[in-house]
Amino acid sequence: MPEQYLARNSRTAWRVYDGEAVILLAEDSTLNTLNAVGTLIWEGADGKTPVSSLVGRICTEFDVEPVQAERDVTAFVDKLSQRGLLNVSASPHEPR
Amino acid sequence: MDELSVEIAGLRSAVVTRDRDVLDVVRDRYKGFLSPGTPDWRIEIDLRQAAGHRSDGDVLVSRDGERARFVIKRWDFVGTADLAERRASATFAGANEYSIDSFLRILYSLALVEAHGLVVHAASLIRNGRAHLFSGPSGAGKTTLARLSPDATLLSDELSIVRLADGRARCHGTPFWGELARAGQDRAAPLRGICFLHHGSRHAVEAITPRRALERLLPNVLFFARDPELTGRVLEIAADLVESVPCFDLSFRLDPGFWEVIDRA
Repeated sequence: MPEQYLARNSRTAWRVYDGEAVILLAEDSTLNTLNAVGTLIWEGADGKTPVSSLVGRICTEFDVEPVQAERDVTAFVDKLSQRGLLNVSASPHEPR
Repeated sequence: MDELSVEIAGLRSAVVTRDRDVLDVVRDRYKGFLSPGTPDWRIEIDLRQAAGHRSDGDVLVSRDGERARFVIKRWDFVGTADLAERRASATFAGANEYSIDSFLRILYSLALVEAHGLVVHAASLIRNGRAHLFSGPSGAGKTTLARLSPDATLLSDELSIVRLADGRARCHGTPFWGELARAGQDRAAPLRGICFLHHGSRHAVEAITPRRALERLLPNVLFFARDPELTGRVLEIAADLVESVPCFDLSFRLDPGFWEVIDRA
């Protein structure tokens, strides 16, 4: 599977409580809340960290098998991309 | 040009206009909040046919090139707000009190961010020297709760203002009313707590975490600017607010007994 890089939409404001993120999108003030795994991905979505690295961290920190972690990350990234919160790229880049 | 000063939540605005009808609306609608003195804000209002620019009922607040300048548009008015200069202007199709009031609500929601404050869809009341904020969407029971509290000092039954300073929250009375059709009193008090409302078969309060409170509060913050910087500041203020006071889910039925469970919480 080709490497991917995630970047948070810069038109968001967010804060983490007890390891769980609360995110506001400026366009329409929609509110999104993430669980601990989602928050790990969100915090790692700096445009430079490869998705494979995030999958590895999830396996380590949450005791999940790599296949399951990869599947969960893919579903999560699809969902947040559709909501306009994440940008996915094939190469590392600065968050927009 | 004639001028009237209105002070809401410690922010005094001089309303400046050539139109006598506008002045009469402001004088009548905000009679409990008129406050002569040096204004913090200057709001110029004029009237022109077909002032509004949007065909729907939505409000559009967007940055106008300049860092701190915003354009505010609705079907019945168009205006600007410069947060750095503390100047606003608005053109209305007529001297309609609801249009003028809507513009002021939006303007204060912007101006208060600078003052570390928020306009919240909430009823607020002072009881025993402390303010209680009861937040919820339309139908949650804000006006009902205000009606059930004749001995408390009404700050608002619809839109309340909270300002934070040194980590302490104060709740301010507003002239922004709901179904009660009565302005709150021009008073302020330290905030004792925030209750998120829903109707129930009994009175019950349940303490909730700051994170849960933030999730409940944010959809009830009056804020229209589609702007990352201001959105970030609203999030920060809201987060500071829910961390500064206890927050509860409040289930209540139609009698004043809810105050007993709040007092015990």
